Amino acid sequence: MTIDFYWRLPTHGCHSSLRHHAYDRGDWSPTGPHHIAPGLDASGADDGFRYIDHLAEIARAAEISGFIGGLIPSFPNTDDPWVIAPLLARETKTFRFMIAFQPGFLNPVQAARLSASLQRATGGRTVYNIITGGGGPAQLWWGDSFSHDDRYGRTTEFLDILKGVWGSDDFSYQGRFYRIENGSLPPLLRQEPLPEIWFSGSSDAALQTAAKHADYYLSWLEPFDQLADKFARVKERTAALGGRKKCAVRVDLVARPTEEEAWRDVRIGFENVSAETRDRLRGQQTDSVGASRQAALRPTEARRYEDLIIAPNLWAGFSLLRGGPALGIVGSYEQCAARLDELIRLGADAFILAGTPHLEEAYRVGEEVLPLLGQAAGRQRVAAE
Amino acid sequence: MTIQIHWQLDVTAEAGRSEPSARPRVPGVARDVRTPALNRYDYYAQVARAAALTGFDGLFIPYREDGDDSQIVAAALARTTPRLRLVPEFPASAGSAVYAAKQAATFQRFTHQRLGWAIAPDGDDAARARRGDQVAAKDLAERLDEFLTVARAVHRGPSFTFKGRFFEVQNGGFAEPLNRVAFPTVYLRGTEEERLKLSARHADVHLLDAAPADELKNVIEVLGWLALQQGRSVAAGLIQPVLARETAEEAEAARRDAGIADDAPVITGSYDDVTSRLADLASLGIRHFVLTATPGFEEAYRIGQFVLPRLRALTGSARAAA
Repeated sequence: MTIDFYWRLPTHGCHSSLRHHAYDRGDWSPTGPHHIAPGLDASGADDGFRYIDHLAEIARAAEISGFIGGLIPSFPNTDDPWVIAPLLARETKTFRFMIAFQPGFLNPVQAARLSASLQRATGGRTVYNIITGGGGPAQLWWGDSFSHDDRYGRTTEFLDILKGVWGSDDFSYQGRFYRIENGSLPPLLRQEPLPEIWFSGSSDAALQTAAKHADYYLSWLEPFDQLADKFARVKERTAALGGRKKCAVRVDLVARPTEEEAWRDVRIGFENVSAETRDRLRGQQTDSVGASRQAALRPTEARRYEDLIIAPNLWAGFSLLRGGPALGIVGSYEQCAARLDELIRLGADAFILAGTPHLEEAYRVGEEVLPLLGQAAGRQRVAAE
Repeated sequence: MTIQIHWQLDVTAEAGRSEPSARPRVPGVARDVRTPALNRYDYYAQVARAAALTGFDGLFIPYREDGDDSQIVAAALARTTPRLRLVPEFPASAGSAVYAAKQAATFQRFTHQRLGWAIAPDGDDAARARRGDQVAAKDLAERLDEFLTVARAVHRGPSFTFKGRFFEVQNGGFAEPLNRVAFPTVYLRGTEEERLKLSARHADVHLLDAAPADELKNVIEVLGWLALQQGRSVAAGLIQPVLARETAEEAEAARRDAGIADDAPVITGSYDDVTSRLADLASLGIRHFVLTATPGFEEAYRIGQFVLPRLRALTGSARAAA
């Protein structure tokens, strides 16, 4: 059995190093002398490159180094996955575009059209990362005023319709949120494969929707015992609801030749976190269950980076170094591979990995860590025989 | 005067061209090494590059219910055509105004601001029901008004709050760097007064369908007057089918072969004839042309090489610097 490993395209700029926090790749920090995409030409003027040129490099690095594709996240102040994926369609070969989006923002028939067209443009390389959670002020920023559980009901209907028009030449539907009469994708588009659906959300409302429509249930990394419980619960609950789901996990890695080197980069990165960054992170509000679980780790209050080591190779301060979840794996190549192997034993069926800087780390993790997976178990078997 | 000349990429006009399904089913004499990966998008890219190479200013991609989505096509072509303006047409029922503006911001940021937004006609009741568009016919203009109001406002910057009948935003709007780019050029359509009024408030270009000169003249005047009342100016645009050949006789023969009806508004003639008809339209006040002919690829070269230079010479409009 093989496992799908995805990488991540950072849609809010990228750092050239985990140790420093200025976005020197992309235009999220003021453009300086060592910045790229855009950078400055010899006369100090805009060199004409755009952040998409760097994203294209990351996507190609990921496909060259063995990743099946990459997650393209979507937040209020990021660039948009539905535009990035088709922009890069013709300059990548195997890279699958995992598009994060909230169903409420698109008409489901239009979403089906976009998807089938993108499938044709990419040779079937579209994957959905359906987001329903979030919420609170962020949701109203997007112009979406539905309550948490209503949003899952809407996501269910959205996917009912998307699949309905894809699979039928005459589809009608009367839901709480959507109404459609005699809809369908045109024959030219309907022959495309439906994208794989990755689903997130920790609440019971989320699991019901996942059971009906998802292929993978995606979680942030949590302490391993909690994650194992969660995966077991998801598999059990979705099986009971009629569709046992595979589970996937998002993990950031700091993988270095030795464990000491890995922790040294983490320590320097931690020491460079400004008071403003801590304040900003403290102020973030959400009604998402998953986000609350992560915030409970309280990385903003730590004085020493060691205080955030919650298990071997498991560090809870990643959210200080870059936007996103708090927990990640830190260690030597062998240790990182061993932790990923452990996650596979605990029920992970697929992964979205990431590391900073995303370009160089795609090569590093692809070349140094992925080939080690399964080796420890193999060695044990050999030793036992 | 400056006129902008776009080529039309109609994704349904030649849907099978370059598709694997169009290849011979029985192996022929010629060894065929084409993979399924070579498909209609490669043809779209050829049309787009043809338009760029021959000096068109942009590519207009109409919304077609039976074909690929124009926004995906536009993005898929953007990086193979470094100069061309891309104008995908989509209905206002496509989704939330905030999300549409967000997508536009990324497109603008990543393509050196080459996006145009053409809002497609809403369609009749049955068409809207097929698309899951629940807005009643009488409310469509108001929905579009709100859609564009919200999209422009969130694009401008943070702290935007709005509660309308169709869209609602609280403390929304894009922060740096998303709001550094220009809002896309907005193209609207329709000849009813309600639609012209909408254009007067929101459009950069009001696109008309080919029609007799006196009808066009009348609409352009009304549009100009309504825009003036709003303290704005709106350029008139025209979607114009053309059939041009070296000689008028060849053009007429081609028209007969294609079975084009006598009263169809296709400008037909020699390169000089077609040029002079288009120049006449420019003198009525048309500033944006969307020219269209089939097959899209060969005709882009033909019109681009033989009509565009003549038209630009006649109207004194220089080709945009590459």
